[in-house]
Amino acid sequence: MKSPATFSNKLLQSIDKIAIKRTLAKGELLLKEGDIERNLYYVSSGALRVFLLTEYEEMTIRFGYEGSFINSLSSFITQKPSEFYIEAIRKTTIQIISKDKLQEIIHQNTESMQEYIALIEALVTQQIEREIDLLTISPAERLKRVLARSPNLFQQIPLKYIASYLRMTPETLSRVRNS
Amino acid sequence: MHIEKSSLIQNLILRTEQNIISAKKFKLLSIEQLNYKSNPEEWSILECLEHLNLYGDYYLPEIEKTMLEQKKQYSSPMFKSGVLGNYFANLMLPKENGQIKKMKSPEDKNPVHSQLSFTTIERFLKQQELLKKLLEQSKTKDLTKLKTPISISKWIKLRLGDTFRFVIYHNQRHIAQAERLLQQ
Repeated sequence: MKSPATFSNKLLQSIDKIAIKRTLAKGELLLKEGDIERNLYYVSSGALRVFLLTEYEEMTIRFGYEGSFINSLSSFITQKPSEFYIEAIRKTTIQIISKDKLQEIIHQNTESMQEYIALIEALVTQQIEREIDLLTISPAERLKRVLARSPNLFQQIPLKYIASYLRMTPETLSRVRNS
Repeated sequence: MHIEKSSLIQNLILRTEQNIISAKKFKLLSIEQLNYKSNPEEWSILECLEHLNLYGDYYLPEIEKTMLEQKKQYSSPMFKSGVLGNYFANLMLPKENGQIKKMKSPEDKNPVHSQLSFTTIERFLKQQELLKKLLEQSKTKDLTKLKTPISISKWIKLRLGDTFRFVIYHNQRHIAQAERLLQQ
């Protein structure tokens, strides 16, 4: 989830004070399918991906870019086993905030609460955008929509994961990108 | 092979459960052990499993599709193997002296030099669970009359029972290969 522009403030400052820093090597897993998500992660540097593993393929559903928050959200909310894996795409440093600590912080003052709501609202909006992406038939149009939201996508994420995210083969993505 | 359908299915479920147990053992190994090979053209443990995954990618949806095609409620309680199907299936099993006949993998099913990780094992396990479900479903299906096309030619079809046997014996073949690597 990308943080809103106004986010360099109260909530982030509070989080910064209590977060635990962790560095992940390339390919290292932050969370596995079946684990319960107890944290929210802020990506200080590097990049992560959230993926679903099926019988037939790994499907990347979300990226965690530098300067954004990420976790296995439904598991975080419900405290039920995660359906997703979270993996570091390259060497990545994150700040870890537990759900309990986050609850404490957002209830400290109205400003933090408002910022948290803004974060959740931004996330809901993004999920709807993502739903439209997946319903968009033209591969070129799908890529255009995603690039409008994340212009630096190709600088941060390897092509094969972008292709998976866009539900197309790496070959199709290359062709669409070059045309 | 002429056999009661229920005993064939039970036998294939047991074999699949053995394969699952072996694959779960591989999960305890380090990534170095999983990628180990004594020479570059030989497969590592992960490559053995990925080879099976690539076959599963083809056969599992085909089996599912084939079973949906049966319209009749009644199906024979017996299974009779076809000549070709029986040959292909038995080709996958070790010979009586325990020897394995070496074969060349089709290019599109050869995983050598691909980048593999722990998800290869997880994916294999998911496929085995699906395979077990399909075997359960097949109890009400006609394993002799329903036919699935094989991966190298859509013109050649095997009886569903033989397709199950081929896929599962083939799984056993390469699980055994992976286990030999473990002993090295």
